[in-house]
Amino acid sequence: MAKLTINGKFIEVKDGTLILEAAKQAGIEIPTFCYQADLSRIGACRICLVEIAGQRKLMTSCTTPVMEGMEVNSESAAVQESRKGVIEFFLSNHSLDCPVCDKAGECELQDMVYKHGPRKGSFKEKKIRFHEKDYPLSPVIIKNSNRCVKCTRCIRVCRDTVGVGVLGSMGRGAHQEETSFLRTYLDCDHCGNCIEVCPVGCFMRRPYRYKSRPWDLKSADTICPYCATGCTSKIQERDGEVVRSISKMGKGVNNELLCARGRFGFDFISNEDRLTTPLMRKDGELVPVSWDEALESLAVNLGAFAPERIGGIASARLTNEDLFLFQDLMRSAFKTNNIDSSARWNRDSVSAFIKATGINEGGVSLRGALEGVDAIFIVGTQISEENPVTDYLLRRSFDSRWVFTMIASARAMKLDSCAQLTMRHDPATENALLTAIAKVIFDDAGEKAAGLDCAELFKDLSLKDLSDESGVDQSDIGAAARKLFGSESATFFAGTEFLRFPDGLRGFSLLKELLTALGKKITVVPVLDRCNQRGAWDMGVHPAFGPGYEPVENPGLGNAGMLEAADARQLDALYIAGVDILNNYPDFETAEKALSKLQYLVVNELFLTGTAAMADLVLPVASFAEKAGTMTNQEGRVQSMSPLMKPPGEARTAHDIFSALLKAHDFEFNVAKPKGTFEKIQANVKSYADVELLNERSDKSLTGESGNTVSSSILEKEADEEDQTPAYTAEDLPLTLITGNHLFYSGMLSSRSATLGSLLKEAIVEINDTDAKKYDLKSGDHVTVTGRYHEGRYAVRVKNGSRKGVAFIPENFKTGPVNRFFRKGEWSQKVRLKKVDA
Amino acid sequence: MLTEEAKKAIKEVMKRYKTKRAAVMPALTIAQDDVREVTAEDMLEIAEMLEIQPVIVNEVAKFYTMYNVQRKVGKYHIEVCHNISCNLLQAERIIAHIENRLNIKVGGTTTDGKFTLSTAECLGSCGTAPMMQINDTYYEDLTETKVNDILATLKSRD
Repeated sequence: MAKLTINGKFIEVKDGTLILEAAKQAGIEIPTFCYQADLSRIGACRICLVEIAGQRKLMTSCTTPVMEGMEVNSESAAVQESRKGVIEFFLSNHSLDCPVCDKAGECELQDMVYKHGPRKGSFKEKKIRFHEKDYPLSPVIIKNSNRCVKCTRCIRVCRDTVGVGVLGSMGRGAHQEETSFLRTYLDCDHCGNCIEVCPVGCFMRRPYRYKSRPWDLKSADTICPYCATGCTSKIQERDGEVVRSISKMGKGVNNELLCARGRFGFDFISNEDRLTTPLMRKDGELVPVSWDEALESLAVNLGAFAPERIGGIASARLTNEDLFLFQDLMRSAFKTNNIDSSARWNRDSVSAFIKATGINEGGVSLRGALEGVDAIFIVGTQISEENPVTDYLLRRSFDSRWVFTMIASARAMKLDSCAQLTMRHDPATENALLTAIAKVIFDDAGEKAAGLDCAELFKDLSLKDLSDESGVDQSDIGAAARKLFGSESATFFAGTEFLRFPDGLRGFSLLKELLTALGKKITVVPVLDRCNQRGAWDMGVHPAFGPGYEPVENPGLGNAGMLEAADARQLDALYIAGVDILNNYPDFETAEKALSKLQYLVVNELFLTGTAAMADLVLPVASFAEKAGTMTNQEGRVQSMSPLMKPPGEARTAHDIFSALLKAHDFEFNVAKPKGTFEKIQANVKSYADVELLNERSDKSLTGESGNTVSSSILEKEADEEDQTPAYTAEDLPLTLITGNHLFYSGMLSSRSATLGSLLKEAIVEINDTDAKKYDLKSGDHVTVTGRYHEGRYAVRVKNGSRKGVAFIPENFKTGPVNRFFRKGEWSQKVRLKKVDA
Repeated sequence: MLTEEAKKAIKEVMKRYKTKRAAVMPALTIAQDDVREVTAEDMLEIAEMLEIQPVIVNEVAKFYTMYNVQRKVGKYHIEVCHNISCNLLQAERIIAHIENRLNIKVGGTTTDGKFTLSTAECLGSCGTAPMMQINDTYYEDLTETKVNDILATLKSRD
């Protein structure tokens, strides 16, 4: 600790604290421009200069650490004079076009001049102008360099945090301009973090430009509806249209960071295709009806079927309150355990994933999981594309502390550049790879591991076979194993590939158990791609367990089981809340066949999706911007969101619909606001009992232990009892098809966002550079992708460093649905590419 | 476009450094040699060779005034210092004189492509101000007559 005085105020702070931060702690504000906590410090703008007794020159408080006995003065005459001079310099070339600038009203330069600035400038020279008109850098970013104050925050956030580094400082002195390569269009994440950190109106949101003044906006704090990183953002509307989403330093898990989806993907809310009235099928047509008629018909029709012939599938985008009521409705009113969340993961995969990653054992904070850890292992996730902000947060943490990082995946990702070891394995071979690593550790541990339960398992394993199966060199496997064995603690990031290919969870559990048995501290952070997937499981939207992972007596059918049963006419009615099964279920044909055989299909939706168009009753619902509630992110952090506006037309919140149906079934049911339902959740679900809704990085908002165990048939299988999945191999289909989320495209919502649509205009297939050379293809070429069951047209993207022999097509793309390539039970599909003319 | 020789030379120079990106300055110098210009294609190719973002090559090239980014200069690139010491000793007059003699403005190139006139920030030769640099040579203690001689000599050369 160091003792010092700032402006005569005595304070004591930790050694190494910057003067600026110490002043903040003492409640003294020092103006800054180039400084931003979490970005590298450059001390360039000179606005934060302070006087230190005994020093001849003024010092930058943003780069100077405190010293014992220091006497700092941040408001002396010399400091004020120099501050004025610095601001005068800023303004000497600043275009001062506040009346037409988007930033006016929330501009740091404006505030600064107002507070500290000189009222008159002494420069007579002509201002330097870089250009006359604003110029676009991407479909979402537009730039005006004449307003720049050269703080380079944009460059630093792009390079150090986002990791793309496509911005740079051109020229020097007054001629310095932060921009892209020769001001050309950017090929980047289009995350807009450069806009968020810009203190002036230099970087602007293209869709928002000239739309509003900040003081005319109405805003609400919400949780991003895309991936499960759980970023907090503020969405803002004017005249009923959501115009922007912003993030702020010091708020939420994400601070000022958002990704393209979070920052620009909100315009689906104001999409004019939103459903506004309930629609009921009459004489084969969907026609508008009143809510009373709709709800009554729903209750009567669904109630007419036997419980085992009804099922419900809810989206992992709904709030905890919605999901809690949904499972209550299905279980208590319709007496069925046939419920599931999302249409992509199979029931048993989910159980196995929850068990292997310990989701039922309570939340794990990302920051806590990285603190002091010796090694990080990222496996089974395309983190840079599925959870972009998690990628940014990880990169940012590597900036302040070096951690040995390993990544195992089939596809290359941006985070690879931060990793010390990357292992490119064949798709769906996580099991072989992780088992191989465990095998090496087991062998290295010698006597220490000999007595363990799993010792038997390793006896007959051959490292060579496992290495061949996964396609990863034995030397890499050995390096990973030795790093894990040599570490005291390790954090695993395990993602959705394990849900797609649950076999991998066996290897994962084995490795985790072995390391734990050897005394290592292992933390697992699940990496999920839907905002409230974890909440959906916590709320018991699963056929085998209820809220809080309480096992149910007669487990019901999962989504695959329900569709199969419908196909066999053993299930007659489905209530689908916000899932576009036709587009999501990894077997289009089966899904379509099954849905068409249903006698009664009810769908809650924002839009008339393919699934909704097949329904007998479609209920229009509120989007995330129009409802209150809580969501649980991948860490198990429960965060609340508040409504910004009313749903369009007659649309209602899912919470209202489920409450009304529960009330119709049981007059005793106490219809409550989402807040009341959350209290009910806290009373009923042990892991939520002590949760505090803080929306900040505090462990108090993490879920606790559920106290229940989840049983999993997949994990309990003997290791030699491999799944006999028919891998389809043919000479003329040389590439293995994999799928997942795309950075700009992750499902139903993104497909309805025009802004995201402008970032990725057509369906793509991604291959690595070696394959591109082999088939004479380059980015931008068009190909037909032919599989066993489907053929489609895609644009080629080449990604250096991905596994060879792998083709990636993003999930859910409307114009190129990947699920038509797959058939149930045949996850391994092979395809070939053929070039076509544009 | 980098010539094959230029590419070879860049590969050679890369060997001198621990990291590839460290070779960005010599690579730009090689690219500019002979053609007296760094083009967009050059920067993209250098970025690819050094495995860095093109914007980094762009930054470096724009930071140092010795690189002529997307600007073809004449065979003799005259850079007259116009910082304090030179200016106090009539650098402005020297500049105006050259403008007159060559019939071009600062930033311009003569129609025969022989001379380009630029101003430069301090070239570190204040003791012999006013001064200018033509390609790699310093010309110091300038007077108008001296400038006439220099220009005449260069004109008579190829």
